[in-house]
Amino acid sequence: MEVKILTEHYDKPEFQGLDGYKKHGGYETLAKALKLKPEEIKNQVKEAGLRGRGGAGFPTGVKWGFLPENGETRYLLCNADEGEPGTFKDRLMMERAPHQLIEGMLISAFAIHSPKSYIYIRGEYFESLRIVEKAIKEAYSAGLLGKNILGSGFSHDMDVYSGAGAYICGEETGMISSLEGKKGQPKLKPPFPAIEGYLGKPTIVNNVESLAAVKYIIRDGVQAYRKYGTEKSPGTKLFSVSGNVMKPGTYEVPLGYPLKDLIEVECGGLKPGRKLKAVIPGGSSAPVLTAEEAQRATMDYECLAQMGSMLGSGAVIVIDDSNCMVDLLHVIMHFYHHESCGQCTPCREGTGWLDKIVSGIHAGTGRLQDVQLIEQVSQHMMGRTICALSDAAAMPALSFVEKFREEFEFYVREGRSRVKEVVANA
Amino acid sequence: MPKCTVNGKQIEVKPGTSIIEAFKEAGENIAHYCWHPGLSVAGVCRLCMVEIEGNPRLQIACNTMVQEGMVVSNQSDKVKDAVRWGLDFHLINHPLDCPICDQAGECGLQEQYMEFGKYEPEMAERKVKKRKVVDLGPKVVLDSERCILCSRCVRFTDEVTKTRELGIFNRGDRSEIGTFKDRPLDNNYSLNTVDICPVGALTSRDFRFRQRVWYLKNKETICTGCSTGCNVKAYYNEDGLFRVKPVHNEDINGYWMCDEGRDIYKFANPEFRLKTARKGTQDHWDDINVVEAAKSVGSIVKTSVDTDGAGSVAVVLTGQHSNEEYDAILEWINGDLKVDQVYHWVNNPEKFDDFDGLLLRGDRNPNTKGLLERLDARKLNKTWQDFETKLKAGTVKVVIVVGPENPAVYSDMGEKVQLINGVDKVVWMSACPVGELNTMTGTTWQIPLKTFVEKPGTYVNFQGRAQTVKPVTFLVKQALSVVEAVQLMAGEASKVELVEPEHHPKKNYFVYSRGPL
Repeated sequence: MEVKILTEHYDKPEFQGLDGYKKHGGYETLAKALKLKPEEIKNQVKEAGLRGRGGAGFPTGVKWGFLPENGETRYLLCNADEGEPGTFKDRLMMERAPHQLIEGMLISAFAIHSPKSYIYIRGEYFESLRIVEKAIKEAYSAGLLGKNILGSGFSHDMDVYSGAGAYICGEETGMISSLEGKKGQPKLKPPFPAIEGYLGKPTIVNNVESLAAVKYIIRDGVQAYRKYGTEKSPGTKLFSVSGNVMKPGTYEVPLGYPLKDLIEVECGGLKPGRKLKAVIPGGSSAPVLTAEEAQRATMDYECLAQMGSMLGSGAVIVIDDSNCMVDLLHVIMHFYHHESCGQCTPCREGTGWLDKIVSGIHAGTGRLQDVQLIEQVSQHMMGRTICALSDAAAMPALSFVEKFREEFEFYVREGRSRVKEVVANA
Repeated sequence: MPKCTVNGKQIEVKPGTSIIEAFKEAGENIAHYCWHPGLSVAGVCRLCMVEIEGNPRLQIACNTMVQEGMVVSNQSDKVKDAVRWGLDFHLINHPLDCPICDQAGECGLQEQYMEFGKYEPEMAERKVKKRKVVDLGPKVVLDSERCILCSRCVRFTDEVTKTRELGIFNRGDRSEIGTFKDRPLDNNYSLNTVDICPVGALTSRDFRFRQRVWYLKNKETICTGCSTGCNVKAYYNEDGLFRVKPVHNEDINGYWMCDEGRDIYKFANPEFRLKTARKGTQDHWDDINVVEAAKSVGSIVKTSVDTDGAGSVAVVLTGQHSNEEYDAILEWINGDLKVDQVYHWVNNPEKFDDFDGLLLRGDRNPNTKGLLERLDARKLNKTWQDFETKLKAGTVKVVIVVGPENPAVYSDMGEKVQLINGVDKVVWMSACPVGELNTMTGTTWQIPLKTFVEKPGTYVNFQGRAQTVKPVTFLVKQALSVVEAVQLMAGEASKVELVEPEHHPKKNYFVYSRGPL
């Protein structure tokens, strides 16, 4: 069932403004944190086992630990470029509780000795941008940003940067390139951003939800945080559920929560008369689960990895039996083809190729060998590029074909969708 | 020094060596397009895939450093499969226009495909069509459809020239190399982008469609365009030279050369050359045999010295010839005949010390340093002012000018010709005709000289580094090197043999090796 830790006051409109936020204990945790040593904060985040909520699930505290100890200027970059189709939980967090993010960022910045941070918001999020900018202004006016915050001697500046709307700017090095004023293209690693990031300086990139969670770890303590979730995936997680459910939306549940409960209980189940066909559990790039797998899945990093999928950013896309998988893959492939930055050859050419093959099938002009070709092309795109966009296109393609092969083969043989026909005749 | 094993060969490399460099050191073949030793690592072509023992995933060799004890291979089926598919990804939108592509015969894509290709194309969909014949600038033309977006050219303008004219525009398979509006690729190093383009996307406007590369031979020499002495390869056939391209020399030019230097092949070609010796005055000239001309010049000089003394003869030298040529003429003039009036003609003296920050220097002579060393050794330190004074005094009866090989960099040619106009006898040795000599009032001999590609020699660059080259080809039969000319003048005719220009009929070597169809 839903556990409201991060989203506790999201139903209160005043929580968006500074006064309302303060009324509910806002910035008290910052005051507490500023009295701690930065090392203590880092250790608590590490002990809490907070894993990055942007998609990769890398432990946040461990990431902070990669920063060099040489006193060089380091930057904190908040990844609010929520571009994965199906994901909209960061938007909710920014629009309902911008100060919660700012407070989390200030605590994190203090922990890593960062004097300057940026919130990189995707270009399409006009409203989020407006709200966050307003909140930053309020924080500056209240002395919560700028010099000598709350008399602690800690100074910090924060700025917002609006991207131009490229999916790949959500990848941390692509985001850094974009922030630097260059084309948003991922960079080779190593060097990792913690060593050489924004403007060549050590940079930590954390997701909106991860940064907001830092505040609650410091406020309630490690044990309180670990009370939720599993041993390896502690805490709660916001899931943005879309697709064929009665109540799509963003839900905060403990990690390890059963997927079927999320669909049935939180989202009110499927539309009447429909049967579950598949679920994409972590955004459009995650391998799809069949209905049977979805019944067994729990929403944590380990279980989904074991099932050959991933938690990703927590975008659950529910697919019922009225949907044609060729249709869906067609849309997904078109998206990744459009969004490939064009740097690495397997991605630049492979996403286009996949898009064309699937489009051919979708248009009724596919060849029988195309189904196998989708698999071959996908397999040779996986793990062959600088960033994970190539994998992001290949994984759904592979899993769709593997798990719903007969649907694709029917489409190729008959030149039409079996599912659409069944639905139309029902 | 980390030790590693590359395809079964144990080698030791310098710390910080990448795997791709280790492959090169081990003499092992590894596919790659975007990696270039003179540029930063982009890691985008994904062809240099290797398997590292203990690592489940394939890695790119260009961005992975060698670690102690590393065992690396690109021979496994897994790697070969990855490279084959990598090539297929490169080719799915690449036109198969090899027969008309300017790069055919020296195309990285062709070569890699022969070695690693999949040979069973599976792409049945329409290719992405991109632009053809795009003017990037005055010297470079882009055929965008052939571009494999290795980004070498973009990195070159970012990192080497720092002019940043090029960029990759758009995304995904719509990506294209291009320039910004009103900012064409127009720097003095722009043609290096053509050299480093692994396919036929970037072509030189000068070379484009002029020759199939398999009709050309090449030999290494040095660029005589300025005092840097860039190492180059000259490409030629029986029709003459067609282009020069840089050869890597870390101590002198790295991997690059300037566009201006690339033009040096032009003055060496027969159509611009002085093909026979000539004797005459003003507008009346007779062609004469070069051997006879040199011999008669030799006796005239000797007679003048014997009759009017060593002061009646003056020699003008430019910094465009080799040490051996300077040694020969100085030994005859100063050593044998005791003439000490030897003058150094310096072109564009006001720009002599200019430097563009990369390679090109204001001294547009390949061997100023070699000449000055030789003049110093013989204590021949007379100034140009002395020469002018002597000319005014009328004591100089014979002037020998070892004129510029490349007349294009001597803008003061007319001025200098006018200065010596009026002297009784003038001997002008040069590779190209000098039109200004048609105003001469005294008897004048023009002796055709060989160019830098037709003679052996040593040149000392601005750093004092001596570089010796061998002849590349012979283009004008009657041309002499200064050494040969001096031998004839000094009465050593038996040493000189005129060489016929090379004839090697155009062959389609592919047809030759395959036999007629």
